[in-house]
Amino acid sequence: MPYLYNTPEDQRAMLEAIGAGSIDELFDPIPAYLQLDRPLNLPPALSEMELDQQLRLLASRNRHAGELVCFLGGGCYDHFVPAVVDTIGSRSEFYTSYTPYQAEASQGNLQAVFEYQSLITRLTGMDISNASLYDGASAAAEAVLMATSSTRRFGKVVVPECLHPEYRSTIATYLENLETEVVTLETPTGVVDPDLLAAAVDEEVAAVVLQQPNFFGCVEDAYRVAEITAAAGSLLISVFDPLSLGILRRPGDYGANIAVAEGHTLGTPMSYGGPFLGIMACDKSLVRRMPGRIAGKTVDRRGNDCYVLTMQTREQHIRREKATSNVCTNQGLFALRATAYLAQLGPQGLRETANLCLQKSHYAAEQLCKLDRFSLAFPVPTFKEFVIRDAENQVAELLSSALDNGFLAGIPLGQWYPQLADCFLVAVTEKRTKAEIDSLVHSLANSETKVTAEV
Amino acid sequence: MKNTRDTQTIFELSRSGRRAARLPACDVPEHNVADLLPAASIAATPPALPELSEPAVIRHFVNLSTQNMSVDTHFYPLGSCTMKYNPKRNERAAAMPAFADLHPYQPAETLQGMLQMLYEMQEMLQEISGLEACSLQPAAGAHGELAALLVAAAYFRDLGESRTKVLVPDNAHGTNPASAAMGGFDAVTLKTTADGFVDLDDLETKLDEHVAVLMITNPSTLGLFEPNMQVIADRVHKVGGLIYLDGANMNAILGVARPGDFGADMQHYNPHKTFSGPHGGGGPGAGPICVTEKLAPYLPTPIVKTLGDQFVLDYDRPKTIGRVRAFFGNVGVLLRAYAYIRTHGPDGLRRVSENAVLNANYLLSRVKHILPVPQGHRCMHEFVASASDLRRDKKISAMDLAKRLLDFGYHAPTVYFPLTVPEAMMIEPTETESKETLDAFAETLFRITEEDADLLHDAPHTTAVSRPDEVRAARQPVLSYPE
Ligand SMILES: Cc1ncc(COP(=O)(O)O)c(C=O)c1O
Repeated sequence: MPYLYNTPEDQRAMLEAIGAGSIDELFDPIPAYLQLDRPLNLPPALSEMELDQQLRLLASRNRHAGELVCFLGGGCYDHFVPAVVDTIGSRSEFYTSYTPYQAEASQGNLQAVFEYQSLITRLTGMDISNASLYDGASAAAEAVLMATSSTRRFGKVVVPECLHPEYRSTIATYLENLETEVVTLETPTGVVDPDLLAAAVDEEVAAVVLQQPNFFGCVEDAYRVAEITAAAGSLLISVFDPLSLGILRRPGDYGANIAVAEGHTLGTPMSYGGPFLGIMACDKSLVRRMPGRIAGKTVDRRGNDCYVLTMQTREQHIRREKATSNVCTNQGLFALRATAYLAQLGPQGLRETANLCLQKSHYAAEQLCKLDRFSLAFPVPTFKEFVIRDAENQVAELLSSALDNGFLAGIPLGQWYPQLADCFLVAVTEKRTKAEIDSLVHSLANSETKVTAEV
Repeated sequence: MKNTRDTQTIFELSRSGRRAARLPACDVPEHNVADLLPAASIAATPPALPELSEPAVIRHFVNLSTQNMSVDTHFYPLGSCTMKYNPKRNERAAAMPAFADLHPYQPAETLQGMLQMLYEMQEMLQEISGLEACSLQPAAGAHGELAALLVAAAYFRDLGESRTKVLVPDNAHGTNPASAAMGGFDAVTLKTTADGFVDLDDLETKLDEHVAVLMITNPSTLGLFEPNMQVIADRVHKVGGLIYLDGANMNAILGVARPGDFGADMQHYNPHKTFSGPHGGGGPGAGPICVTEKLAPYLPTPIVKTLGDQFVLDYDRPKTIGRVRAFFGNVGVLLRAYAYIRTHGPDGLRRVSENAVLNANYLLSRVKHILPVPQGHRCMHEFVASASDLRRDKKISAMDLAKRLLDFGYHAPTVYFPLTVPEAMMIEPTETESKETLDAFAETLFRITEEDADLLHDAPHTTAVSRPDEVRAARQPVLSYPE
């Protein structure tokens, strides 16, 4: 048996000290008729070596982004993870510790959380960051709940169609058994239309959720959206891309009240979508409504600077049903990774990373649009991804033939937007080289589907 | 030996112009940013991040790591958290590029190994819980609670029943009532008896056809198996309600008893406890939920299913509650749990619980001579001692004991939870500790209780920091390094 320390003699001695005849007797409090009278029906135990073989077998049935060239985005991106981040993230003093409730035994974690919060406020231009939430989508849903409770407007929340469909779905699920209605704003031009927005926000609207850049990669007029939102007394929830802030204005600059993001892009691999990092930052005025843990700086009894979890009267372990949220376990390890990532990148590194994404994605869009069948579905400025419309309406065939050539070429949009069934979303990170982009274009240009389409 | 310089904050260590990361030159024709983006959207300067060299980054964080207690360095008997050893093979598995470098929107044909693993996880978790369906989507235990309560809400809506109440025993974890409120229910507190069990009379008065769910933690947060489990489940079912099992304490009953067999309609797991996912200094966890057949249609979407010899994601589930997050779930945590379950097998998992319960009872048999354990002389995987006598007689609190234990190289037990036990110390040794460790811990605890109260009030003495001023932290909050 792996990891059981006690020998049969130990066990006998322990049972004797307990005054029990057998281990089975220790389970006597469970009525016999409720006990399982057979072994669990699970595969037999593997040794470590056999486990390794089993995992390799499973692994051989996956084709990962190291062997395929990844142009997939949609909230999860193939960004570069510096070795420093892995080294720090695999310090087991960090990753095998619990939430830092005992401050004296957790100063390392607490200071890292404090630094994380400080980096997030600088990154976003917001006043306060918490210690992390589950992921970008659940952070957006939490932000909506925060907005309804702080504005006391439980009527509506406005969510544009160009917000990530899975974020919209998450918000809808969180609100399903509450009174708040989700008003979906159509965005036929690929960005929020100020007039449509102005018509949709009224004094019942707790918040507008703006993704910047949005799900289609398009850069929104965030100032205008903020203005319209504020005019109605609603809160602006910004769903931002952390790396875009190397170039784009910060949520705090354009007046967001709550800013949330998927933070895996700060040093955590794609991992099939999780575990990731839910970033949340807000205005000072909203801090008492903030979900999740927050670390603060204070002094100890000897007068030394130190860190603790603070403002815990917001939290479930103190306030129970009156807490701002039920969140307990968060994504601490990924907050640590993000801290290391941002420390490693620095301001210039962040700007250069953002610029590489911007330049390379524009190059890719330009090259793709040189092919007759392709055009940009939304001809507005984009940051690192864009929507390609295929005039021949053969998205599935196109992507599948690109896969045969070793490319994860894009995400078909018809699954969420029936009106965009002829479109796919292409993301280009700093990792993609010109050669990879050129061969993607080449592969799509010579796609089998074109031939069949002409037949 | 203490390194004060390199544990200054990264902002103090920053020097303008220093750099760690070098990025490749731009290999595509470069445009002016102003030609690509609207002027109003462009920031004049990048955010004010600190500027460090790579060795400085490493030295800083490695030094910080040494200011932590952790399972890999210390005994960590933190009750309710199941701080067991985290096998290194699991870490290696999760880091394999064929798992770590997968994009969630890759076509299923390129993910067959991943989907197979997840499919097997669904099946194995169902078998361990004795329930019929599983969603791996929730990101932590509390998230699973919320998802399951929303499943219950959808189920009752479908039946045309309006049920507004969720019953939660007073010794439940705070996430239970918080999840109930977040899910749009009224959380109604159920009393427990002096023995720590659900008060059947109180249940009787609060149980009616408005009750949607009773959330029960079994074994409870006191480390006790609820003796009236069957009665409670029968009564709740009789009025049409559902039983939710908080599965945080599954480490006590793996292969011994199954929630589905003792009346639960839904449960979550905490794989970051029971199945050895490391806790990461706060997370990640995962919160897969299992439910009975009748609740299956409402589970979050997607779920992995088989189609011929292929594994596919099933989105075609018209009654689903939708999503509680983006993408599939906390797959990296699930993969570690998979590795854990596969290396233990059916006998091994039962052995885990047997030894977790043996260790806890052994430690209880020693601790009860030092501190009273109000609820019984036997326990499951953990027990709750009380320092209230010590507090009365010597003015030594549970917190004092907790802090003093740190001086001796032990992480403190969970203190002041559950709220029903005064001066609570919740102790969970887990199965991965040896008798010697438990003996040494008990001896230390005894020695501490004999110490001078003043010494304890000022503890810890050996840590870099002692008794942070929490009131000041809350009243004059400093939540980030000033810019
Ligand atoms: C009894 C109990 N229930 C629920 C939870 C919540 O689980 P999580 O922290 O994974 O959200 C915990 C753990 O913190 C717990 O101990």
